[in-house]
Amino acid sequence: MNALPTFPWLTLITLLPLAGALPCLLLRKSARDCRGVALATSVAVLGLTLWLGWEHCSGSGWYVIEDAAWVEHFGIRWTLGLDGLALTLIVLTALLSCGAHLLAWRITERVPFFLALLLIMESGFLGVFLALDLVLFYICWEVMLVPLFFLVGIWGREGRGRAALKAFLVTLCGSLLMLVGIIALYLLHGAQTGTYTFALRELLQHPLTGPAQYWVCGAFLAAFLIKAPLVPLHSWLIDAHTAAPVCGAVDLAGLLLKTGIYGLLRFGFPLFPDATRLWLPWLMIPALFGLFHAAWVAYRQTDLKRLAAYSSVSHLGLVVLGLAVWNATALEGAILLMLIHGVSAAALFAASGMIAARAGTTQLNELGGVWGRAPFLGGLFLLFGMASAGVPGLGNFVGEILILFGTFSAHPLIAAVAATTMVTTAVYMTGLLKAVLWGPPADDAVWADLTWREGWVLVPLALLIVWVGVYPEPFLAPLREPVQFLLTTVGTLSGGAP
Amino acid sequence: MKPELLFLILFFPLLCGILNALFGMRVPRLVAETLAVCGVASAALLTLLFWPQAAGDGLHATLFTWLDSGPLTIPVELSFDAISAPMALMVSGVSTLIHLYAIGYMKADESYARFFALLNLFVFAMLLIVLADNLLLLFLGWEGVGFCSYGLIGFWYRTPENAAAGRKAFLVTRIGDVFLAVALLWLYQLCGTLSLTAINAQAASLAPATLTALALLLLLGACGKSAQLPLMSWLPDAMAGPTPVSALIHAATMVTAGVYLLCRLFPLISLSPTGMLAIAVVGAATALYAATCALAQREIKRVLAYSTMSQIGYMFLAVGAGSVSGAMFHLFTHAFFKALLFMAAGCIIHLAAEENDIFRMGGVARRAPLIFILFLAGALCLAGFPLSGGFLSKDAILAATFARPEPVYQLLWGGATLTALLTAFYTFRLLYLVFAGSARGPVDNHRLPALMVWPLLPLALFGLGGGLLNWPALLGGSPWLQQRLAASGEFVVHLSHAVESRLWAGGTALFVVGLLAAHLRYRRKTARTETRVARWLRGGWGCDRCFELLLLRPYRGMALFCSEGLDRLLFDETLDGLAQIVRNCGDKLRWLGNGRLTDHLHGFAWGVLILLGCGLLLLIGSH
Repeated sequence: MNALPTFPWLTLITLLPLAGALPCLLLRKSARDCRGVALATSVAVLGLTLWLGWEHCSGSGWYVIEDAAWVEHFGIRWTLGLDGLALTLIVLTALLSCGAHLLAWRITERVPFFLALLLIMESGFLGVFLALDLVLFYICWEVMLVPLFFLVGIWGREGRGRAALKAFLVTLCGSLLMLVGIIALYLLHGAQTGTYTFALRELLQHPLTGPAQYWVCGAFLAAFLIKAPLVPLHSWLIDAHTAAPVCGAVDLAGLLLKTGIYGLLRFGFPLFPDATRLWLPWLMIPALFGLFHAAWVAYRQTDLKRLAAYSSVSHLGLVVLGLAVWNATALEGAILLMLIHGVSAAALFAASGMIAARAGTTQLNELGGVWGRAPFLGGLFLLFGMASAGVPGLGNFVGEILILFGTFSAHPLIAAVAATTMVTTAVYMTGLLKAVLWGPPADDAVWADLTWREGWVLVPLALLIVWVGVYPEPFLAPLREPVQFLLTTVGTLSGGAP
Repeated sequence: MKPELLFLILFFPLLCGILNALFGMRVPRLVAETLAVCGVASAALLTLLFWPQAAGDGLHATLFTWLDSGPLTIPVELSFDAISAPMALMVSGVSTLIHLYAIGYMKADESYARFFALLNLFVFAMLLIVLADNLLLLFLGWEGVGFCSYGLIGFWYRTPENAAAGRKAFLVTRIGDVFLAVALLWLYQLCGTLSLTAINAQAASLAPATLTALALLLLLGACGKSAQLPLMSWLPDAMAGPTPVSALIHAATMVTAGVYLLCRLFPLISLSPTGMLAIAVVGAATALYAATCALAQREIKRVLAYSTMSQIGYMFLAVGAGSVSGAMFHLFTHAFFKALLFMAAGCIIHLAAEENDIFRMGGVARRAPLIFILFLAGALCLAGFPLSGGFLSKDAILAATFARPEPVYQLLWGGATLTALLTAFYTFRLLYLVFAGSARGPVDNHRLPALMVWPLLPLALFGLGGGLLNWPALLGGSPWLQQRLAASGEFVVHLSHAVESRLWAGGTALFVVGLLAAHLRYRRKTARTETRVARWLRGGWGCDRCFELLLLRPYRGMALFCSEGLDRLLFDETLDGLAQIVRNCGDKLRWLGNGRLTDHLHGFAWGVLILLGCGLLLLIGSH
């Protein structure tokens, strides 16, 4: 693309965690060294992404494209691209990965292997968010899935084997459908235009026509909606969240779920404009259903982590609703909610993990009185809980209200119904807070309040939540162009469901 | 001063709240307390400094753009005008006094940092409601006060009941907030802006049906925060919080936010007669309902809670009758005397060794004459002692309702008059039971800290003399508040002096009758026998049970259905079933690879046969 070869920063960022994983696997003797290497790698990635963001914050279009021939014969290229959407997501990835490495200090078994898996997963996430070639995307998509299987399966708590297998198989079903879809798209597009390529930007130039596109689009949507996850495809996520170790849960809630929404925005919708226009309105039904279904189920949970997992599903329902409405306000709100939900849900899981490590249980009826025992940890837990409950001034509210504004302009009744989620969310969130923070302490053990390491995980996330809640402009600005691109590529919806 | 500096009024309480939250436990107690009071007092001082500029159109400031997405732009706009300036002064002034009182009240509590942080944050959020010129910004403050109220009701969190009361308040008010949120979305859709000034200016161009729907949505939103029917059940339980909280949040400021919202949007609401009538009906009904409940309460703070609900009902009635100045007048005098009553009640509870039951009190007048005088001042205002602030503001509302031409308002006036009688009765019941006679329960004779007494003095003066805010023309005054708020669509009361003096005489008669009735019944009788009716009234007409049956049980049932029926049985079992099918298929096909020679030979033989058959068919077909 570029006339002058510049330094391939994106490639560096994507491959750096992989490179960091190597010494972890080689230096298996010393867990200490491995921790140092892993943390240094993730901090370096964070630094690089932040620098990239600073460098390109006022850019437009594709900020950076790196394109190299890879498997010429099949038209597979090594293409990485950075735009506003990808930028926000890789910063999120790098931030949460740093947090995960700090949280991993609690892990004492097979540390090097664990850290290597975390790093490989980070590479996978970064690759997914940057790849502009379908085959490269697919490879990264699987690269992030495999470590997850091991993380849950080896370091998880009871029920880990079943949970890991379930998560792996269910999402693999989606992945394989997508693989079939990718190949079909390659062949059909080649037959239609004469050039056989996996490059996203070329595929976007000539969208598929005819009935075949609906099948291919369906395959893509299945993969992404399982990952999102849309009710009723969510049960893998609940079990995996519950069984996963804390840092695994942080990556799961904060990042893995976002790949589904990102996939829809980057590939699923723009590649198949006709099918998207036809199907989008119908997506509102499962989205709205999932929003309330998950909130109601969350209300009945007796386990801290399961409740938080259902809360994630409920919020993702609102995100999908924002996508289905398909106008600028709702889309920007949906993307912002997706991002800030990544932060708040990850923070809620991290704080839950810290509480669980002190209390030795995640059963809500055995917890209680955390506020008196660890005021700062309790205070942050309250903040994250309130953020999830959509209290204005905190990040989630901005996303939610934008979605509601966007929805109301197209479907007032649906927006009014969706607005009642303010109550359903508050019901289970205050239930959670009541069980965890208030009441008398369950036993007499003295707790340590937030340690410095834990503070480094939670405090930046808390500050980010407040920042987005008070002044979201720096986070909304990079989303405007990608949203405009989506709206022009797919076109606006005419009519459709109520 | 520059209008942009308005943000300072909000900034200091916020800053001090944050500082107290982060470092309050690390610094000496005195520093934390001083910080808290300074934060609020500086807001009050700044309000005074800005005061002269509120005249005319007032000050308007746009600070920055909060949300900007697609066609949507939400700026952070503040306005300091005829209605928000006195409200801001009242909120910050009363808050300052209550903060001072709280220092004395919380002397023995270890969690003072959390307390003052939340209290300061509350004042910030409340001032945001008052000063916001943008409905979404107002909503931010609206939810912010809800959160602070949640944290402060459950302040003594180790007792599960307190935490439950906080949660109840949060959830019930949030039901109201949903309606406000929908109204807000709709208003944006209609007007293309959420600026209160712009909405009021455009209101006349909206369709009547839309206006009615909007007015009803706003009413429901206001009902939640202001504890009006049907979203009122949280307020009595909210008394679980510390007394300064009850005084500040659940009497003087937050619960009046609903009234304030309706007054801010009055030009819009007043265009819908149905909406106005609904507001008046809700107000009158709540006033009567809460007054009957107050008759049978046993805990001193619950009596005051129900009386708060009842008095806010009057304010709603005033808005519904078209008298913004009446509503705001009563809001101010009520804020003074009710904060006074609550804080004095806090002193009484201290003196009764934390006993709440008025049937186990008694004889406080002799032990603490100063507290008695202060409480009496508040009680006289509440009961409507002639020419006290409470009397004049209540009378303004009654007169406005009476003067409406529609007959249904006469009916509401009747209800409100009956309420006034009940109010006098339960107020004196409270006075007799608490102050008269001799002590019937535990007694604690320690000296009250000075800070718990002297902030009450200015409130007593303001309460009794609050009438000067709006001194009626009948007494040769000029109603300042009425002239100030007279701008937009206000219903002007035209009553002859003769009718008005008759109304006053009636009000005085009600006061006397209530006093006499209480005197006859409670001067001696202090036994605790409770009839069935009294128990029903004490439970708030069984509204908790209604809520349980109508709302909670269906909600729980729905949750049960979703989690057990749908999630476990349908979704999970289907997935497991699919996995089982795959496994069964695998099991069926396993013999293929079991390595037994006979099976392989069988398969080979069948394969050959089938291939031969196919070949034959093809041969036949080709010929």
